[in-house]
Amino acid sequence: MSRRPGPRGFRASIAAALAVLAFYAGLIVSLAWFLDGEVLNRTLFSERSFFSVQLSLMAATVATGLAMTLAIPAAYALSRYDFIGKQAAETVLEFPIIVSPAALGAIILIFFNNPLGEWLQENTIYFVFTFSGIVLAQFVTILGLSVRMLKAAFDEVPVELETVARTLGAGSRHSFFTVTLPLAKNGLIAALILTWAKALGEFGATLMVAGSMAMRTETLPIAIFMRLSNADIEGTVALILILVVIGLSALYAARRLLGRSAHA
Amino acid sequence: MLEIANLTAQAGGFRLTDIQLGIAAGECHAVLGPSGSGKSTLLGAVLGTRPVMAGRVRLANDDITHWPIEHRRLGYVPQQLGLFPHLSVADNLAYSARARRVPEAEYRPLLDRLVDITGLGALLSRPIATLSGGERQRVALVRALTADPRLVLLDEPFTALNESLRREMWWLVKDLQRERGLTVMLVTHDLTEAYFLAEHITVLIEGRQEQSGSKVEVYRRPASLAVAHFLGLKNLFPATVARSAEGWIEADCPVLNARFRLPGDAPEGCAVVLGIRREDVTLRDAAHPPPPPSEQVLTGTVQIVDLGSEAEIHLQPGPDAPVIEVAVPWRTVQHFGLRDGQSGVRVGLPEAHMFWVKAP
Repeated sequence: MSRRPGPRGFRASIAAALAVLAFYAGLIVSLAWFLDGEVLNRTLFSERSFFSVQLSLMAATVATGLAMTLAIPAAYALSRYDFIGKQAAETVLEFPIIVSPAALGAIILIFFNNPLGEWLQENTIYFVFTFSGIVLAQFVTILGLSVRMLKAAFDEVPVELETVARTLGAGSRHSFFTVTLPLAKNGLIAALILTWAKALGEFGATLMVAGSMAMRTETLPIAIFMRLSNADIEGTVALILILVVIGLSALYAARRLLGRSAHA
Repeated sequence: MLEIANLTAQAGGFRLTDIQLGIAAGECHAVLGPSGSGKSTLLGAVLGTRPVMAGRVRLANDDITHWPIEHRRLGYVPQQLGLFPHLSVADNLAYSARARRVPEAEYRPLLDRLVDITGLGALLSRPIATLSGGERQRVALVRALTADPRLVLLDEPFTALNESLRREMWWLVKDLQRERGLTVMLVTHDLTEAYFLAEHITVLIEGRQEQSGSKVEVYRRPASLAVAHFLGLKNLFPATVARSAEGWIEADCPVLNARFRLPGDAPEGCAVVLGIRREDVTLRDAAHPPPPPSEQVLTGTVQIVDLGSEAEIHLQPGPDAPVIEVAVPWRTVQHFGLRDGQSGVRVGLPEAHMFWVKAP
């Protein structure tokens, strides 16, 4: 039998929640120690920072778009059908979550050094140390997560509704677009924004595949790494703030969107 | 209208085997059975959501066994109703026409007529979430009819309703069936619902078709002990066929210390179970004319159970004999002056109302 927490347990759980908030807020506020107005201003409006922000936003958006294009049908299949290899596919989806991004990036890099990888690069797109490489690294990192989140969103929509739609004369595609997709909308928006935010902050795999070349493959996380490597703490803080502001804005937008559609 | 022949269907590890079933146009046929009997699997095979391993499903001369769901022209009301929560009542009702790209001028008269019959007019602009249970049932039922289906499948759609709303919905189904000439397959475990709505009944037990026939036949003559148990029959007594000739058997029932002559064929020595419905057992007193030879009279002590609208009398004919249950109106109890614990009470078991099944 489940029991509701008593006043003491209730207070303790609220204290834990506030401690989590204080922990992260404290880390962010501690940046102020190294905040220098002039450096912040110079860094924010430098060409190099603009490049990093632009590159990060573009790569994250393209990677998220590609991941969602593959993840939506894959998640739907995993949610709705039983097929040979389903369990294996579900296990593989955990792979990018349990393996570190650096290891994933190393795997991609090693792949492009085998004959098939070399042939692919020579005959299709060159990935190593390029924008495509950044997108690929982010894509590989976020794909598993986006499939898992989308599958959870589709699982929330009862199969019965699709069956009813089909008895009413709708084909499977029509029932998907008129019943399943609208009902899974909140989950889809959440998956889209969270995977985009994860792609934006991706570092390890990007570093392995695309390297850290200033004004070439310098995404925001790579820029932070490069400035910190050069002991430019004030510049690092300025870039971290940019990343935090973009990430929090995305999450705020997601909450607003989800809140609005939940009350529509 | 619907013809199911030698159907075998599978759902996970469960298998439904060798189903034969026919539903005439304009008829309501109930598929009855306890949980796990295969009702939903059979419904899924007709609906197209369960793979058919063997056999055929024909609907109005079309072999629809492997047709996609959307081509079968079925109306379907599932247990959870399946209303689209993101659409208004009007959009739920217009869904079928829009999916099939039927011009509004074509579908509007049928929809208006259905809305009129069911009184849904005032609800059309309402979101589904704001409807009461009964209103949702009506919307789901009407929506299932908007595609002018050849067969309507009802999968226990009224179980969540209270008694009075449920009866209201039964009458609505009956009215719609009469008005539209609907052919209905009702899947339920509720005996009252099945007897109220259906003309024919099929009983499924553990994936087998135990009995199919008119509701009177299933009610009066259960085909097996499993069906008798499912129908809730309590007056079941073991017996042995003592004589068998020309379509009749004489069965000795040692627990009642009586012999019964019943129609049917079974070899001598065959173990059988005799049964009688509790409302078919008669109370007898000295004022009664003597019972006919076709009625065995037993004497015992009674317990009276108050069931509200009626009384149930439990008569114990002897210390080792099974209890015989008798259902009677309260006025009969008063007429006989029966008291709890009274001994010497006589009941009659008329052979005309008795049935027998082979012992398992």
